[in-house]
Amino acid sequence: MKKLVYLVMAACVVTFCFSSNGWTQRKTTIKVGINAPMTGDIPKVGEGTKYAAEMWLDDVNKAGGIEVGGKKYPVELVLEDNESKAESAVKANTKMITQDDVMIIIGPQSSKQAIPAGDVANNYETPMISPWSTNPATTADRPFVFRGCFLDPFQGPVLANFITEEFGFKKAAVLYDVASDYPKGLAEFFKAAWEEKHGAGSVVAYESFTTKDTDFSSQLTKIIKSGADFLFTPQYYNEVALIVNQAKDLGWKGPVVGSDSWGSAETVELCGEACFGQFFSTHYAAAGAKGATKEFIDRYNASYGYVPDDVGALTWDALRLAQAAIEGAGELTGDIKKDRTAVRDALARVENFEGITGKMTFTEEGDPNKCAVIVKISDKGEYEFYKSICP
Amino acid sequence: METLKKLFRPFSVVPLAGWFLGVFSAVLMEYYLGDLISYYLYLPKIPVLFGTLFMLKNPLLIPSALAYDCIVYIVPVFLVARLFAPLTNQLAAQLEKMPLWLATLLHLAAFYGILHMWAGINDYRVLVVKLTMISIILTLSLNVINGYQGEFSCSHPGFMALGAYASSTLTLLLFANDKMFGEPLMNPALGPWLFPLILIVGGGVAALGSLIVAIPSFRTRGDYLAIISLAFLFMVKSAIENMEIIGGPRGMSSQPNYASLTVVFVWMALCIWIVHNFTTSVLGKALNAVRDNEPAANSMTVNTRKTKMTAFMFGAFWAGVAGGLFAHVLRYVNPGTFGLNKLAEILAMVYFGGLNSIYGSIIGAVSISMLSEALRPLELFKWIIIPLILILVMIFRPHGLISFTELNVKELMRPRDKERAGGVE
Repeated sequence: MKKLVYLVMAACVVTFCFSSNGWTQRKTTIKVGINAPMTGDIPKVGEGTKYAAEMWLDDVNKAGGIEVGGKKYPVELVLEDNESKAESAVKANTKMITQDDVMIIIGPQSSKQAIPAGDVANNYETPMISPWSTNPATTADRPFVFRGCFLDPFQGPVLANFITEEFGFKKAAVLYDVASDYPKGLAEFFKAAWEEKHGAGSVVAYESFTTKDTDFSSQLTKIIKSGADFLFTPQYYNEVALIVNQAKDLGWKGPVVGSDSWGSAETVELCGEACFGQFFSTHYAAAGAKGATKEFIDRYNASYGYVPDDVGALTWDALRLAQAAIEGAGELTGDIKKDRTAVRDALARVENFEGITGKMTFTEEGDPNKCAVIVKISDKGEYEFYKSICP
Repeated sequence: METLKKLFRPFSVVPLAGWFLGVFSAVLMEYYLGDLISYYLYLPKIPVLFGTLFMLKNPLLIPSALAYDCIVYIVPVFLVARLFAPLTNQLAAQLEKMPLWLATLLHLAAFYGILHMWAGINDYRVLVVKLTMISIILTLSLNVINGYQGEFSCSHPGFMALGAYASSTLTLLLFANDKMFGEPLMNPALGPWLFPLILIVGGGVAALGSLIVAIPSFRTRGDYLAIISLAFLFMVKSAIENMEIIGGPRGMSSQPNYASLTVVFVWMALCIWIVHNFTTSVLGKALNAVRDNEPAANSMTVNTRKTKMTAFMFGAFWAGVAGGLFAHVLRYVNPGTFGLNKLAEILAMVYFGGLNSIYGSIIGAVSISMLSEALRPLELFKWIIIPLILILVMIFRPHGLISFTELNVKELMRPRDKERAGGVE
């Protein structure tokens, strides 16, 4: 019994000693949640997200916080790692909403996390912007969920139109990963758009493979034999390097066209000269950028030592959008639920927002109406702005 | 170690009911005073997972968080448990006179009540608790195959995927207005009542799927099963990826929200009970015999083939049920979720907790889930710390923390005030 009393006393003493430690008040801070894949399959994406967010926080802190209704509020970032897993993204969102009381969430980046996480955000009536998720299900029927990029049903026709106008080609070949959500969706939209323009059967080869395949010779041989004018392959950078090089070795002469997944700096590094002169559609072009875009790229490059890819730029835009929405919310009541709704309404009202990846206006569904950029890979391996195509 | 033992000696007289009372008082305290206490300790909010999350993010808060844990959890739990020990021992003695099932049910109900109240403070806790309980089901079901049966099966995420997709398809088809399947075929009000049936169907589909692995591979032993079951995992994954009707690689979303905390808890309790009964039955003993020496078991009239198949299907069934619950907790499934990462996670839980043991499975599932949740702020270092712990466990306890122990509910619930003959201390 005696020991017990000592134990209790010791516990109390410890408590009182330490409690004088953090004499800080609970202040009203605006918390912005970042749900990013810091570990897992795509850590590079998480890193880009984190760096863009840190740069944004720097800017906000320099300005003394975000001004809402004539009052400046300090800003805090809450960064959660979603491990590139769906259930972790859901846990992270739930935690940020119910525990950290975030005003708005930026992320998750890939659709497999953004779809379930968006459901959580919408249920708790917390605005969320996914900068990079292209799957329509992320925002569909969810008034609180927005995204920062254009959708695949837009990108497919953009590419089909560009190729028709630029080269005057008639016969298309498509090579895509059947087991991955993004390439598969985009390949389908492209095929539909191309066949609408040139009639059924104008996609002469529609070949697929499975994630992590590294030998594409059988598909490429079929494509070469089909007599297609060009090859469209909406793949990620590691596969692009293999496909383009293997096609060249097998004697493919025509151009290879890609989509925004080519946008990573790694594409050229891995692919080498085979990729020079090819085209792809994306969100923004780093080389030859002007104004705010160039400023962002230079700052990012100076701080972190490489040119940001589209994830960094889109995250930056999403954060600036969030800032604009919070500033436009009128007044913060301190009641987090009301404030979140006000921010969501302000976000839906945003019109012609000047982002570094283009002008944005949200549709009813929370998807932005924005232009796509066609990029040409120059002879030096830089991503040169070639053309901008607007809806 | 000695001082620790000495410190805990006064508490050896506390029965399970006493600990429940202690935890209950702590939870009550958090419920009514948690906000106030955390305010005076300058914590931003009631810490969700004992403060581990913001301890790692902001080390300045460590003293406050520790103080909070002390005031709200440690002191009340131990104090109340010890002070009320005479009373709770009487209660335990009363409960002991009741039929075992009734006493167990009462304990379970009390435990659920406490858990519900604790989790109810924050929705994040609810989610973590739900996913942890699903992990317990998964770990137990894999332990039947890898522990009790002594094989090495790698197809558990595949069974989980089968269960998840089967039950999601059914709920979306029958009770939800979905883009993929259109109008609900039945009145959505019936949904929560038929949900158990749907989970059983999901488990059944997984069990049927397990036959694909079981029939060819049980003619052999050892590594072959590991290889065939790994192949099965990839088969399921690419089959689902290529089936456009259930969403292909895009997955299925917006399942109705049927998997509440109560539902998951009941299924977990059922799973523990049934797995316990299975492994202590004649069949379970036969299974152990087959594991230790198959020819000997065969010569003792054990039908080895049938035994192995039944156990394998049984394990797959519970993996399917867990998959169904998982799909309805997350309300989204895609084939990518059920890959090698998931397999590694479940295997880690089984081998960390301990083979051939229900306690071990529960401890493995809870500790790995909680660790990976609590260490999340460390990002990359989390993936260094957890494997390191696993390696250490494998070195010092090669069969896991608590292996080869049977669940004994009667022993667990007995009063502790007097030593009894043969009572294990």
